[in-house]
Amino acid sequence: MRIPCPHCGERGHEEFLYLGDAGVRRPDGMAEAKAGEPASRPWMDYVYLRPNPAGVHRELWQHVHGCRAWLVVTRDTRTHAISGAEDARTVALARDGAPA
Amino acid sequence: MAEHITFSRRGAFAGLALPGRFGQAEGPAGLTVAVRTTVAIAQVVARPGRTDEVSSAVAAAMGLTLPAPLRVSAAGPVVAAWTGPGRWLVMQDEAGSGPYPAGSFVGRVAEACRGAASVTDQTDAQGVLRLSGPRTRDVLAKGLALDLHPRAFRAGMAASTLCGMVEVTLWQTDDTPTYDVAVMRGYAGSFWHWLGESAAEYGLVVAPQDDARAGAG
Ligand SMILES: [Zn+2]
Repeated sequence: MRIPCPHCGERGHEEFLYLGDAGVRRPDGMAEAKAGEPASRPWMDYVYLRPNPAGVHRELWQHVHGCRAWLVVTRDTRTHAISGAEDARTVALARDGAPA
Repeated sequence: MAEHITFSRRGAFAGLALPGRFGQAEGPAGLTVAVRTTVAIAQVVARPGRTDEVSSAVAAAMGLTLPAPLRVSAAGPVVAAWTGPGRWLVMQDEAGSGPYPAGSFVGRVAEACRGAASVTDQTDAQGVLRLSGPRTRDVLAKGLALDLHPRAFRAGMAASTLCGMVEVTLWQTDDTPTYDVAVMRGYAGSFWHWLGESAAEYGLVVAPQDDARAGAG
Protein backbone atom coordinates (compact mmCIF):
# COMPACT_ATOMS: atom_id res chain seq x y z
CA MET A 1 0.00 0.00 0.00
CA ARG A 2 1.40 3.40 -0.98
CA ILE A 3 0.09 6.73 0.27
CA PRO A 4 0.41 9.92 -1.80
CA CYS A 5 1.57 12.43 0.83
CA PRO A 6 0.65 15.92 -0.38
CA HIS A 7 4.04 17.15 0.91
CA CYS A 8 6.43 14.29 0.05
CA GLY A 9 4.83 12.41 -2.83
CA GLU A 10 4.02 8.71 -2.87
CA ARG A 11 5.54 6.74 0.03
CA GLY A 12 5.19 3.21 1.44
CA HIS A 13 2.61 2.81 4.22
CA GLU A 14 5.37 1.70 6.64
CA GLU A 15 6.33 5.38 6.91
CA PHE A 16 2.87 6.21 8.28
CA LEU A 17 1.00 5.82 11.56
CA TYR A 18 -2.74 5.04 11.44
CA LEU A 19 -5.14 6.80 13.79
CA GLY A 20 -8.62 5.98 12.46
CA ASP A 21 -11.83 7.67 11.33
CA ALA A 22 -11.23 11.27 10.27
CA GLY A 23 -14.94 12.10 10.54
CA VAL A 24 -15.25 12.11 14.32
CA ARG A 25 -15.34 15.50 15.99
CA ARG A 26 -14.44 16.12 19.62
CA PRO A 27 -17.56 17.35 21.48
CA ASP A 28 -17.53 20.77 23.07
CA GLY A 29 -17.50 19.82 26.76
CA MET A 30 -20.81 18.28 27.96
CA ALA A 31 -22.87 20.94 26.20
CA GLU A 32 -23.85 19.02 23.08
CA ALA A 33 -26.24 16.37 24.42
CA LYS A 34 -29.72 16.45 22.92
CA ALA A 35 -32.76 16.85 25.18
CA GLY A 36 -33.60 13.61 26.96
CA GLU A 37 -30.23 11.91 26.49
CA PRO A 38 -27.43 11.67 29.06
CA ALA A 39 -24.91 14.53 29.01
CA SER A 40 -22.15 12.00 28.37
CA ARG A 41 -23.81 10.63 25.19
CA PRO A 42 -21.83 12.79 22.68
CA TRP A 43 -18.63 11.62 24.39
CA MET A 44 -19.75 7.98 24.23
CA ASP A 45 -20.26 8.39 20.49
CA TYR A 46 -16.97 10.26 20.03
CA VAL A 47 -14.88 7.72 21.92
CA TYR A 48 -16.54 4.43 20.93
CA LEU A 49 -18.89 4.61 17.96
CA ARG A 50 -17.57 4.18 14.42
CA PRO A 51 -19.53 3.41 11.24
CA ASN A 52 -16.90 0.86 10.02
CA PRO A 53 -17.99 1.03 6.37
CA ALA A 54 -17.22 -1.60 3.73
CA GLY A 55 -16.13 0.88 1.09
CA VAL A 56 -14.81 4.42 0.96
CA HIS A 57 -13.46 5.63 4.31
CA ARG A 58 -11.80 8.91 5.26
CA GLU A 59 -9.16 8.30 7.90
CA LEU A 60 -6.27 9.98 9.71
CA TRP A 61 -2.69 8.92 9.03
CA GLN A 62 0.49 10.63 10.19
CA HIS A 63 3.56 10.67 7.93
CA VAL A 64 5.57 9.97 11.06
CA HIS A 65 8.77 8.71 9.38
CA GLY A 66 8.64 11.48 6.77
CA CYS A 67 7.39 15.05 7.01
CA ARG A 68 5.46 14.43 10.31
CA ALA A 69 2.26 15.92 8.83
CA TRP A 70 -1.16 14.53 9.73
CA LEU A 71 -3.17 13.58 6.65
CA VAL A 72 -6.77 12.71 5.80
CA VAL A 73 -6.51 9.69 3.51
CA THR A 74 -9.46 8.40 1.48
CA ARG A 75 -9.22 4.60 1.28
CA ASP A 76 -11.56 1.84 0.11
CA THR A 77 -11.61 -0.61 3.01
CA ARG A 78 -12.42 -3.54 0.65
CA THR A 79 -9.52 -3.05 -1.76
CA HIS A 80 -7.08 -0.70 0.06
CA ALA A 81 -7.25 1.50 -3.05
CA ILE A 82 -6.33 5.04 -1.99
CA SER A 83 -8.08 7.79 -3.92
CA GLY A 84 -6.64 10.84 -2.15
CA ALA A 85 -4.62 12.30 0.70
CA GLU A 86 -5.02 15.84 2.03
CA ASP A 87 -3.29 17.83 4.73
CA ALA A 88 -5.38 17.26 7.90
CA ARG A 89 -4.75 20.78 9.13
CA THR A 90 -6.22 22.22 5.91
CA VAL A 91 -9.22 19.89 6.19
CA ALA A 92 -9.82 20.86 9.84
CA LEU A 93 -9.53 24.59 9.12
CA ALA A 94 -12.02 24.26 6.24
CA ARG A 95 -14.45 22.39 8.52
CA ASP A 96 -14.13 24.32 11.79
CA GLY A 97 -12.46 27.60 10.82
CA ALA A 98 -9.35 28.98 12.46
CA PRO A 99 -9.07 28.50 16.25
CA ALA A 100 -10.27 31.52 18.23
CA MET B 1 33.01 11.11 48.70
CA ALA B 2 31.17 11.77 45.46
CA GLU B 3 33.06 10.92 42.33
CA HIS B 4 33.74 13.84 40.06
CA ILE B 5 32.27 13.25 36.62
CA THR B 6 33.34 15.05 33.51
CA PHE B 7 31.56 14.77 30.17
CA SER B 8 33.25 14.75 26.82
CA ARG B 9 31.73 14.93 23.40
CA ARG B 10 31.38 11.67 21.54
CA GLY B 11 30.12 11.54 17.95
CA ALA B 12 27.12 9.36 17.10
CA PHE B 13 29.33 6.99 15.07
CA ALA B 14 32.29 6.94 17.49
CA GLY B 15 33.46 3.37 17.99
CA LEU B 16 31.35 2.21 15.05
CA ALA B 17 32.89 3.84 12.00
CA LEU B 18 36.36 2.34 12.24
CA PRO B 19 38.54 3.37 9.30
CA GLY B 20 39.56 0.73 6.77
CA ARG B 21 38.34 -1.44 3.94
CA PHE B 22 35.55 -3.93 4.58
CA GLY B 23 33.61 -6.59 2.67
CA GLN B 24 34.70 -7.35 -0.88
CA ALA B 25 38.47 -6.77 -0.90
CA GLU B 26 39.09 -6.84 -4.67
CA GLY B 27 38.82 -3.89 -7.06
CA PRO B 28 37.68 -0.34 -6.38
CA ALA B 29 35.37 0.05 -3.38
CA GLY B 30 31.69 0.39 -4.28
CA LEU B 31 30.99 2.72 -1.35
CA THR B 32 33.05 5.25 0.55
CA VAL B 33 31.72 6.51 3.88
CA ALA B 34 32.96 9.60 5.68
CA VAL B 35 31.54 10.61 9.05
CA ARG B 36 30.83 14.33 9.11
CA THR B 37 31.82 15.02 12.71
CA THR B 38 31.99 18.80 12.49
CA VAL B 39 28.47 19.74 11.40
CA ALA B 40 26.48 22.07 13.67
CA ILE B 41 22.78 21.33 13.22
CA ALA B 42 19.80 23.52 14.08
CA GLN B 43 16.28 22.20 13.69
CA VAL B 44 13.90 24.98 12.71
CA VAL B 45 10.15 24.45 13.11
CA ALA B 46 7.96 27.40 12.14
CA ARG B 47 5.16 28.25 14.57
CA PRO B 48 1.66 27.76 13.10
CA GLY B 49 1.00 30.03 10.15
CA ARG B 50 4.44 31.69 10.33
CA THR B 51 6.40 29.71 7.73
CA ASP B 52 6.74 32.67 5.34
CA GLU B 53 7.82 34.92 8.20
CA VAL B 54 10.57 32.44 9.16
CA SER B 55 11.75 32.23 5.55
CA SER B 56 12.05 35.97 5.14
CA ALA B 57 13.68 36.45 8.57
CA VAL B 58 16.34 33.81 7.83
CA ALA B 59 16.91 35.23 4.35
CA ALA B 60 17.37 38.74 5.78
CA ALA B 61 19.64 37.74 8.68
CA MET B 62 21.69 34.93 7.12
CA GLY B 63 21.36 35.38 3.36
CA LEU B 64 19.95 31.84 3.21
CA THR B 65 16.82 30.99 1.24
CA LEU B 66 15.14 28.15 3.15
CA PRO B 67 14.39 25.43 0.61
CA ALA B 68 11.04 24.42 -0.86
CA PRO B 69 9.62 20.95 -0.07
CA LEU B 70 11.99 18.04 -0.90
CA ARG B 71 14.89 20.40 -1.59
CA VAL B 72 18.14 21.62 -0.05
CA SER B 73 19.57 25.12 -0.34
CA ALA B 74 22.92 26.62 0.54
CA ALA B 75 24.54 29.96 1.32
CA GLY B 76 28.26 29.26 1.23
CA PRO B 77 29.01 26.53 3.81
CA VAL B 78 25.56 26.86 5.41
CA VAL B 79 23.15 24.22 4.11
CA ALA B 80 19.44 23.79 4.80
CA ALA B 81 17.40 20.66 4.12
CA TRP B 82 13.59 20.58 4.07
CA THR B 83 12.22 17.93 6.46
CA GLY B 84 8.49 18.77 6.50
CA PRO B 85 6.00 21.64 6.15
CA GLY B 86 7.61 24.60 7.94
CA ARG B 87 10.49 22.38 9.16
CA TRP B 88 14.16 22.38 8.21
CA LEU B 89 17.58 21.21 9.33
CA VAL B 90 19.97 24.15 9.02
CA MET B 91 23.65 23.20 9.17
CA GLN B 92 27.12 24.69 9.17
CA ASP B 93 30.29 22.64 8.74
CA GLU B 94 32.46 24.10 11.50
CA ALA B 95 35.65 22.64 10.04
CA GLY B 96 35.44 24.97 7.05
CA SER B 97 35.43 28.73 6.91
CA GLY B 98 31.79 29.14 7.96
CA PRO B 99 30.54 32.67 8.58
CA TYR B 100 29.62 31.92 12.21
CA PRO B 101 32.21 31.07 14.90
CA ALA B 102 32.25 27.42 15.98
CA GLY B 103 29.75 26.81 18.76
CA SER B 104 27.65 29.88 17.97
CA PHE B 105 25.76 28.63 14.93
CA VAL B 106 22.53 27.30 16.46
CA GLY B 107 22.15 30.44 18.57
CA ARG B 108 22.57 32.57 15.46
CA VAL B 109 19.85 30.60 13.67
CA ALA B 110 17.52 31.06 16.65
CA GLU B 111 18.26 34.79 16.66
CA ALA B 112 17.58 34.98 12.92
CA CYS B 113 14.13 33.39 13.34
CA ARG B 114 13.02 36.14 15.75
CA GLY B 115 10.61 33.93 17.70
CA ALA B 116 8.67 32.82 14.61
CA ALA B 117 10.11 29.30 14.91
CA SER B 118 11.19 26.80 17.53
CA VAL B 119 14.92 26.29 17.07
CA THR B 120 16.60 23.33 18.77
CA ASP B 121 20.22 22.23 18.77
CA GLN B 122 20.49 18.84 17.07
CA THR B 123 24.29 18.90 16.69
CA ASP B 124 24.85 16.00 19.06
CA ALA B 125 21.46 14.40 18.46
CA GLN B 126 22.15 13.46 14.85
CA GLY B 127 25.04 11.75 13.13
CA VAL B 128 25.75 12.70 9.52
CA LEU B 129 27.37 10.33 7.03
CA ARG B 130 28.63 11.26 3.57
CA LEU B 131 28.17 8.40 1.10
CA SER B 132 29.88 8.28 -2.27
CA GLY B 133 31.24 5.75 -4.74
CA PRO B 134 30.02 3.94 -7.85
CA ARG B 135 27.64 1.55 -6.03
CA THR B 136 26.11 4.06 -3.59
CA ARG B 137 22.65 3.81 -5.16
CA ASP B 138 22.78 -0.01 -5.08
CA VAL B 139 23.78 0.02 -1.41
CA LEU B 140 20.93 2.38 -0.49
CA ALA B 141 18.36 0.62 -2.70
CA LYS B 142 18.41 -2.42 -0.43
CA GLY B 143 16.90 -0.45 2.44
CA LEU B 144 15.34 2.60 0.85
CA ALA B 145 11.91 2.69 -0.83
CA LEU B 146 12.77 5.95 -2.59
CA ASP B 147 13.70 6.07 -6.28
CA LEU B 148 17.22 7.55 -6.47
CA HIS B 149 17.45 7.29 -10.26
CA PRO B 150 18.49 10.69 -11.65
CA ARG B 151 15.12 11.05 -13.38
CA ALA B 152 13.48 11.06 -9.92
CA PHE B 153 16.10 12.34 -7.46
CA ARG B 154 18.93 14.74 -8.22
CA ALA B 155 21.56 16.92 -6.54
CA GLY B 156 19.75 19.53 -4.44
CA MET B 157 16.91 17.20 -3.45
CA ALA B 158 16.18 15.98 0.10
CA ALA B 159 13.87 13.43 1.68
CA SER B 160 12.94 12.34 5.18
CA THR B 161 12.16 8.66 4.97
CA LEU B 162 13.10 5.19 6.24
CA CYS B 163 16.40 3.55 5.29
CA GLY B 164 17.24 0.11 6.67
CA MET B 165 14.08 0.60 8.79
CA VAL B 166 15.71 3.63 10.45
CA GLU B 167 14.36 7.15 10.09
CA VAL B 168 16.79 9.31 8.10
CA THR B 169 16.99 12.65 6.37
CA LEU B 170 18.91 12.22 3.15
CA TRP B 171 20.03 14.76 0.56
CA GLN B 172 22.07 14.55 -2.61
CA THR B 173 25.05 16.91 -2.73
CA ASP B 174 26.37 16.21 -6.26
CA ASP B 175 25.82 14.07 -9.34
CA THR B 176 28.73 11.63 -8.88
CA PRO B 177 26.46 10.86 -6.85
CA THR B 178 27.19 11.87 -3.25
CA TYR B 179 24.54 11.71 -0.53
CA ASP B 180 24.52 13.02 3.02
CA VAL B 181 22.44 11.00 5.48
CA ALA B 182 21.45 12.31 8.92
CA VAL B 183 20.51 9.63 11.46
CA MET B 184 19.30 10.11 15.03
CA ARG B 185 22.16 9.05 17.28
CA GLY B 186 20.17 6.36 19.09
CA TYR B 187 19.83 4.58 15.75
CA ALA B 188 23.42 5.13 14.61
CA GLY B 189 24.53 1.60 15.57
CA SER B 190 21.58 -0.04 13.88
CA PHE B 191 22.00 2.05 10.72
CA TRP B 192 25.74 1.48 10.63
CA HIS B 193 25.35 -2.29 10.79
CA TRP B 194 22.71 -2.24 8.05
CA LEU B 195 24.96 -0.06 5.87
CA GLY B 196 27.96 -2.36 6.34
CA GLU B 197 25.91 -5.45 5.46
CA SER B 198 24.41 -3.77 2.43
CA ALA B 199 27.77 -2.51 1.13
CA ALA B 200 29.81 -5.65 1.87
CA GLU B 201 29.34 -7.27 -1.55
CA TYR B 202 30.65 -4.12 -3.31
CA GLY B 203 33.51 -3.33 -0.90
CA LEU B 204 33.33 -0.49 1.60
CA VAL B 205 35.95 2.09 2.55
CA VAL B 206 35.46 3.99 5.80
CA ALA B 207 37.42 7.23 5.85
CA PRO B 208 39.23 8.15 9.08
CA GLN B 209 37.44 10.57 11.40
CA ASP B 210 39.69 13.53 12.02
CA ASP B 211 37.85 15.49 14.67
CA ALA B 212 38.00 15.32 18.46
CA ARG B 213 34.26 14.78 18.52
CA ALA B 214 34.72 11.41 16.81
CA GLY B 215 35.69 10.16 20.26
CA ALA B 216 38.07 7.43 21.25
CA GLY B 217 38.01 3.96 19.68
ZN1 LIG C 1 4.96 13.61 3.99
